[in-house]
Amino acid sequence: MTDPIAWLILLPLFWATAAFLLGPGRGARLAIAALLAQCGLALQLAADVIDGGARTHAVGGWGAPLGIDLAVGGLSALMLVLTQAIALPLAVYARAYFADGAPAVRYFWTLTGFLLAGLNALFLAADLFNLYVTLELVGLAAVGLVAAGGSARQVAAALRYLFAALVGSVMYLLGVALIYGAHGTVSLQTLAPLVDARAPAAVWIACGLMLAGLMLKTAIFPFHYWLPPAHGGAPAPVSALLSALVVKASFYLILRLSLEVFAPLAATAATALGLLGAAAIAWGSWQALRTVHIKMLVAWSTVAQLGYLFLVFPLLAPDGLALQAGVMQAIAHGLAKAAMFAAVGVLMLATGRDTLEGLAGVAGRMPLTLFAFGLAGVTLMGLPPSGGFLAKWLLIEAALTHGQWGWVAVVIAGGLLAAAYVFRVLRQAFLLAPADSPFHPVPRSMEWTAFVLATASMLLGLQGVELMSLLAAGS
Amino acid sequence: MIPLLKRAAVILAAASFAGALVFAMLDLPAPGVHLPAAVEANMAASGVAHPVTAVLLNFRGYDTLLEVGVLLLALLGVLAVGARATPPAPAPGEPVKRMFARLAAPLMVLVAVYLLWAGAIQPGGAFQAGAVLGAAAVLLHLTGILPGWGAPGLRLRAGLAAGFLIFLVVAGALLAQGAVLAYPPAQAGRLILLIEAGLTVSLGLILAGLFLALSRDSGDEA
Repeated sequence: MTDPIAWLILLPLFWATAAFLLGPGRGARLAIAALLAQCGLALQLAADVIDGGARTHAVGGWGAPLGIDLAVGGLSALMLVLTQAIALPLAVYARAYFADGAPAVRYFWTLTGFLLAGLNALFLAADLFNLYVTLELVGLAAVGLVAAGGSARQVAAALRYLFAALVGSVMYLLGVALIYGAHGTVSLQTLAPLVDARAPAAVWIACGLMLAGLMLKTAIFPFHYWLPPAHGGAPAPVSALLSALVVKASFYLILRLSLEVFAPLAATAATALGLLGAAAIAWGSWQALRTVHIKMLVAWSTVAQLGYLFLVFPLLAPDGLALQAGVMQAIAHGLAKAAMFAAVGVLMLATGRDTLEGLAGVAGRMPLTLFAFGLAGVTLMGLPPSGGFLAKWLLIEAALTHGQWGWVAVVIAGGLLAAAYVFRVLRQAFLLAPADSPFHPVPRSMEWTAFVLATASMLLGLQGVELMSLLAAGS
Repeated sequence: MIPLLKRAAVILAAASFAGALVFAMLDLPAPGVHLPAAVEANMAASGVAHPVTAVLLNFRGYDTLLEVGVLLLALLGVLAVGARATPPAPAPGEPVKRMFARLAAPLMVLVAVYLLWAGAIQPGGAFQAGAVLGAAAVLLHLTGILPGWGAPGLRLRAGLAAGFLIFLVVAGALLAQGAVLAYPPAQAGRLILLIEAGLTVSLGLILAGLFLALSRDSGDEA
């Protein structure tokens, strides 16, 4: 009755629907209360996994392959904890951000509820077709959040995003159909022993299609074109949710499928994925160094940081170092980027401007928010003791262990580039403001949530051992 | 010259991909798992007599629950972009078309109810019935009888969400049986009919809404 696996999916669906019934703009308090409960559920599930290892929940009592199984292991439990831990502070932040009743808030809470339900369902799914449905939930909710508000630029960004998300979904679905044709099942557990390196052409094509579709959704270079306008143009709480969590979901799926079912085929594309990751770091950082809009800078930084996630693939090995590095990077970047978008949202509300130039003087006026931005920046650069440092350290260790020196250079260069674009913001913030520049007060709760998220990303490195033991549990 | 080259490249890429797919299909092995047999073996416990309905509402009912959420989300996305405060007034349609719509709409509702009921034993069910209901609403809108939608009021929101909410409540309540959507075989038929009835109304409204909420002009120009 109280299986957290079930309630992590049902609860957000309930409050999303309730928020819709309550009416446009309503449901903030309900969402925050429910998210507190979801945090508890996710932590309980993580504790269960540490104690009892991986387990499944057979929906309908049928069991795979006839029915659908939900499964939780160390990796999915970590992602669930991360999702709820980022969503709760962002909900508090969003409540204050939308207090003025802007048009974007009308369906914000119900769309966010569906988004979180979709993410939780995705992390718990153990069935290729069920994964497709969760991808659709996540994708459509995210597109709705970007489009909300309805300015021409937002709708254009949302449409671009919608096309990318739909093409990605269709490619994934075609892959699922081919797999079903070849093996007669879509359950991951049933499929795993059936797929080997001598797979028929249909399975190879399916594997390629699913990988390409998920890469499009993850916005890895060169499929990143839709991300900066979508993440840079949305309201700050939406950008934070999208950059911190949504792109991680499809990465999680690539990682999980290549570790489990498609492990015999995955090595083929590993080096190519690593090279794309390196290209993403270079191109995303370069664009972040050039842009004049502060939010676009943070969005381009997401493009760059996603690159690190793909450096993991050529280094995946039984020693598990690269897997740890990838998961650590996903968590650290999730927290840091949520903090960064939240902080930038505060700065933009306070100065009323969206360019780097407009930031002059915020160091004196909003030290807490600027400090939060700086802390998040430290995580992106990879300085100790941040989670980003631990992720890059593990990545370098994995590269050295396997004698693949090239990736070490990429990781170090990426950290320097991150430092360069973070300091662009900090330098501007410490300049003196023109005397006549307007300044609007911002609710303290927004400043503090940004700070809490940034601090979490910073102190994450100190909790590395605990997190990695959860990752190892039940895998 | 460039567009021509581009077009040729696209055609070539699409054709070779299609060729690869055909090749893969010809090379398809015999599936290792035969699910239709498992469906057949469990039909008695499913509560319905038609295998497609049994898969959609029972064996893989969880997929369907989330899919209904996806449909509701699609409408939410449309509403979020730009719901108007007041719906446009319906333009007067032509008398013959109006007459036809007034005759056809009640019949379409009847067809929807039939399709819903038939789903238990033959092809049909909530999705088909909802599509017919949605089409009836679109017909009424096109002939100027039903106005386009503004921001939906409480009653309309309740109607849009009812199907999903009933499904969700049933899924949650059945956790007492040990798992989400674990119908007790004796009650499965009745619960599935309850869910499908709710879905028919809500899916009809959602599908109609995708059209009526987007219809900037009413009547014949829509």
